Amino acid sequence: MPRRPRSGDEAAAAAAATVDLTAVREIVAGFEEPASDLVTVLQRVQDRYGYLPAPVLEEVARCAGVPPSRVYGVATFYAQFSTVPTGRHKVRVCQGTACHVRGGEEVLRAVQRELGIAPGETTPDLAFGLETVACLGACSLAPVMTVDGRVFARMNAGRVPAVLATVAPSPGQGQGSDAGPPGEGQGGEGGEG
Amino acid sequence: MGGARSPGGSPPLPLRSREAFEAYRAAVTGRPRPRVVLRVCGDTGCLAAGAEAVLEALRREAAALAGDGIEVRRVGCPGFCSRGPVVIIDREGEPPVFCQGVEPVHADALVGQALTPGGVVPDLVFSDEEGRALPRLDEVPFFTRQTRVALRDCGLIDPTDIDAFIARDGYLALVKALFEMSPDDVLDAVERSGLRGRGGGGFPTGAKWRLMAAQPQRPKYVVCNADEGDPGAFMDRGILEGDPHAVIEGMLIGAYAMGASEGVVYCRAEYPLAIARLRTAIGQATALGLLGDDVLGTGFSFGLRVKEGAGAFVCGEETALIASVEGRRGMPRPRPPYPAVSGLRGKPTTINNVETWANVAPIVLRGPEWFRTLGTPGSPGTKVFSLAGKLRNTGLVEVPMGVTLRDLVFGVGGGMTAGRRFKAVQMGGPSGGCLGPAHLDLPVDYDSLKGAGAIMGSGGVIVLDETACMVDLARFFLRFTQSESCGKCVPCRLGTKRMLEILERITAGEAEPDDLDRLERLARTVARTSLCGLGQTAPNPVLSTLRHFRREYEEHVFDRRCRAGACRALAKAPCTNACPAGVDTPSYVALVAAGRPDEALAVHLERNPFPSVCGRVCHHPCEVMCRRGDLDAPVAIAAVKRFMADVTAARRASAPARVTRPQQVAVVGGGPAGLTCAYHLALAGFPVTVFEAEAALGGMLRYGIPPFRLPRDVLEREIEAVVDLGLTVRTGLRLGRDFTLDGLFGEGFAAVFVAVGAERAAPLGVENDAAPGVMPALDLLRAANRGESVAVGRRVVVVGGGSVAMDAARTALRLQAAAGKAGDVTVVYRRSRAEMPAHEWEVREAEEEGVRLVFLTAPTRVLLGEGGRVRGLECLRVELGEVQPDGRRRPRPLPGSEHVVECDTVVAATGLAVDTRLFDGVLDLDPDGTVVVDQRTGATSRRGVFAGGDAVRGPATVVEAIGDGQRAAFAIEEYLTGRAGRAAELAARQRLRRVPRAEAVGAGAARAVPSCLDPRQRLAGFAEVVAGLDEGAARAEAARCLRCDLDG
Repeated sequence: MPRRPRSGDEAAAAAAATVDLTAVREIVAGFEEPASDLVTVLQRVQDRYGYLPAPVLEEVARCAGVPPSRVYGVATFYAQFSTVPTGRHKVRVCQGTACHVRGGEEVLRAVQRELGIAPGETTPDLAFGLETVACLGACSLAPVMTVDGRVFARMNAGRVPAVLATVAPSPGQGQGSDAGPPGEGQGGEGGEG
Repeated sequence: MGGARSPGGSPPLPLRSREAFEAYRAAVTGRPRPRVVLRVCGDTGCLAAGAEAVLEALRREAAALAGDGIEVRRVGCPGFCSRGPVVIIDREGEPPVFCQGVEPVHADALVGQALTPGGVVPDLVFSDEEGRALPRLDEVPFFTRQTRVALRDCGLIDPTDIDAFIARDGYLALVKALFEMSPDDVLDAVERSGLRGRGGGGFPTGAKWRLMAAQPQRPKYVVCNADEGDPGAFMDRGILEGDPHAVIEGMLIGAYAMGASEGVVYCRAEYPLAIARLRTAIGQATALGLLGDDVLGTGFSFGLRVKEGAGAFVCGEETALIASVEGRRGMPRPRPPYPAVSGLRGKPTTINNVETWANVAPIVLRGPEWFRTLGTPGSPGTKVFSLAGKLRNTGLVEVPMGVTLRDLVFGVGGGMTAGRRFKAVQMGGPSGGCLGPAHLDLPVDYDSLKGAGAIMGSGGVIVLDETACMVDLARFFLRFTQSESCGKCVPCRLGTKRMLEILERITAGEAEPDDLDRLERLARTVARTSLCGLGQTAPNPVLSTLRHFRREYEEHVFDRRCRAGACRALAKAPCTNACPAGVDTPSYVALVAAGRPDEALAVHLERNPFPSVCGRVCHHPCEVMCRRGDLDAPVAIAAVKRFMADVTAARRASAPARVTRPQQVAVVGGGPAGLTCAYHLALAGFPVTVFEAEAALGGMLRYGIPPFRLPRDVLEREIEAVVDLGLTVRTGLRLGRDFTLDGLFGEGFAAVFVAVGAERAAPLGVENDAAPGVMPALDLLRAANRGESVAVGRRVVVVGGGSVAMDAARTALRLQAAAGKAGDVTVVYRRSRAEMPAHEWEVREAEEEGVRLVFLTAPTRVLLGEGGRVRGLECLRVELGEVQPDGRRRPRPLPGSEHVVECDTVVAATGLAVDTRLFDGVLDLDPDGTVVVDQRTGATSRRGVFAGGDAVRGPATVVEAIGDGQRAAFAIEEYLTGRAGRAAELAARQRLRRVPRAEAVGAGAARAVPSCLDPRQRLAGFAEVVAGLDEGAARAEAARCLRCDLDG
């Protein structure tokens, strides 16, 4: 099953208590049939809030006219959705087949060591969230990882600290966007950094 | 950017008639073309390699140098991703030039050369395995072997420019369908083309469309499945990023044929660039009037939307995909009803994969008959594959159906990296299977692959080498499918979980003996009873590896061994696991790096008493597995070992071992296997007697390997160190002639280790092969290595392709030189260079010395001249036929190709066998004459008798013999005492040892290459050819070790 939310997360509860729900209403209002577009609705909402706290899910259900159980069901089914706050910087380590046979697991272990968290977790300062991904489709460049959508190719464990250092965690920054890199600008000068 | 601007002199938008489209097209194609175009790949792969900066640099340079004379164009994926960033130069009237690994610093030179007729940038030119530079795209094998239909525009056009697509006949098929064909004509064309679903199932597309067309309900939907969730597959991404209009046009034609009015592209969210390009393309097509209401004024309307997936593999299954598009949890439902009857919103729906849609327009435009000229009768057309894994050339390729796996892996893919061997190819991802070397000549089409236990799948091809563990791979896929199982049906939800648990036990070395049967039974049940394709195919990776690689599973279960060194619980490091003697390689290498060679030697001697010998003649499987080889080149472990052993030689302790056990053990055969066994038994406290048939100990080390590879003083020294442990040595006694196994037990020996080698030469097997002047290679080597004079003629032919053939040829050259003759030695081998069992460096050194190699040639008879003396060898040319079970192709002589290789001496190096007369009726033998033993202990069919080395394996390597000796010694200790004493102690010591990481001096340096004697000097005697490393070089080389043993 795709990732489950961590229960009893105090940070999540605290953040959720003060959520402004106007954006939810605006987003849902933009859909003709929000109930049958629920996955897309939740994608837009998560783009806006960074994650899907419980009050937001309930508001989506109310505006879309569907039971909260259905919204919650969808939100917990897909790997893309998170019901707990995620890191400002999204680190994704590919664990696809090509990456696996070229040492993807060693890269993942190095990232875990460096950040001190397991996949699916967020650092206590909310700077980094770590995810594994089944395949980024860049198999020719395996093993690969991405930081905030920027692809780093032909990785090895030794390069991990330098790659993570390309994004300096700064507390002032807002929630990371899940929309991926804008348009054509993906990757930039990534790669053999 | 393309946009929907109307080109000069073209009709107003949107286009509302065929004439308007044709006028638009004429305006587009009539535009002046730049003299030079630089195509820059802008696909995810090349972007990750830095293509964006290259594109900008090229645009700057081009603007400064050439103004309008040169266009820098961002294109989709040309396919050769491993060489990115890729740039292709198109010059008017010249073939395209391929540039690889382009960086911004090359922009100046590249633009300059692009403007020069015939200009190339040498740094950026592709070169093949033999180092030949191939600047032209149509010379690069990766491209020449492809036929592009679905990828027809990828890498050629700017995917964000609809005009570029139209200029390459884009949307012409749509026009043809709308204005010249009825929906039924289109269905007919697709049906007759034989197109089958490219998503993996291979269902006939025409039949699927026909079913939907017959449905009366409205509206109807067409869906493009771009939820490419198979790890290791990126065909759909390549097409969507490189040529999105190809998919849109295919969907438009399909919608017209089937009467659909709406379409959805369901694309996984992990492909942001593909989604962006698709949206751009939909906007452009709509603006031109090709999409939306009243397409080209025909009254046919079709709206297309993009839906982003949200990360669930199961949504690749069509009913789950529909649930997801409808905004629900992506869970499948039972079929029927099929989506063609009741799909999206309960209406008729046809779902095809990206690549299937991309094939539609060419079929309509060029006709089904053309399509059927490609591929095989059962699987017409082409298939796009994403080639990845341990290949030289990886990327996106499109080949006609029916090419062989060999063409794909070695032709297009360029073969393996890091000098490793092909082990398997994984096709079809988590639903697919693995095929080994025996299947390399299998044609790639739906039906052949299915028959062999794999599937075509969507086209992900992962090529594996020796470093891949097949059990680990099965576990990897199961972990994936288990976590992606949606949980709706029990067999998949629980079955995959239980299967994964068993696989985890196996890879952790905690398997129970009946786990393999349990796993297989469970796998078949899950496959038979799961609700949807995910569960039905999830067991495939397990079942196919069990079928083709069962031995590897058994090693994990029964020997607690992972030969690839990939299962961490079963491997200290890949090099250690690769070593038949199990030497703690990373520890001694680290100690050498730290300047502590004596401690390094002690580590080595725990397992293997012949470090100086192995530093010279071992075929070092450790280096093949070395993970450093994936970065640049493997650590030169053998050279490091040689330095360590040579520098400490004078200090190596040689005190007698303390005898603590009462039982006497006999070792029959004083070669590397026998001496290693005696060594470990002596150190375990047993009194050991070694029986040797020859006058001196050493076996093949002494009589088979020439001194120019292994100097005699080095060999003597290491044999002495073993004997000095207190062995009793009785030379000149031959089993079967001077004593028997029964006799040994009668004399009071409690156990016997038999390691008599394989020294019986196989005759050449041709007419006159016993004539004077024809000699077995081993006789030649034995005499020469004893220092006896051997008469070889002026022209020597050696028959064979193994190590013995190389040693015999090089020895013959030296004997000719000693007799004052000009060197004239030819090696005749019936297969090709690639199949030679001799190691690459042996062949290279032989060639340097002047040995001539003749391949694909087999002797038919020895020709005798005056006095019955050899005057030549009659041979036939040979071609390589079908693949044998060992993965090598069977040589097939060509009748009528007889020719004579003139010579006066023929040396037969065509194989060695065990002298079976020694054991007849005493020990069980295999049909090939080798002694049957228990794989784990070396125990023979007779109680108390163990065996190893060449007598068990047939002609094998030194380190395998050493490994066998060690294994038998441990087994004998357990047999005699009931406890695994020394084995357990060494294993524990090795497991706990953690040599700290040394300062990484020169860790980034290139692999050390030992110097060699000048070839001209070598023939003047038997002096050692390869020199050792000095301390600085050896320590720097040792510091290149990545220390896999400390990782994790």
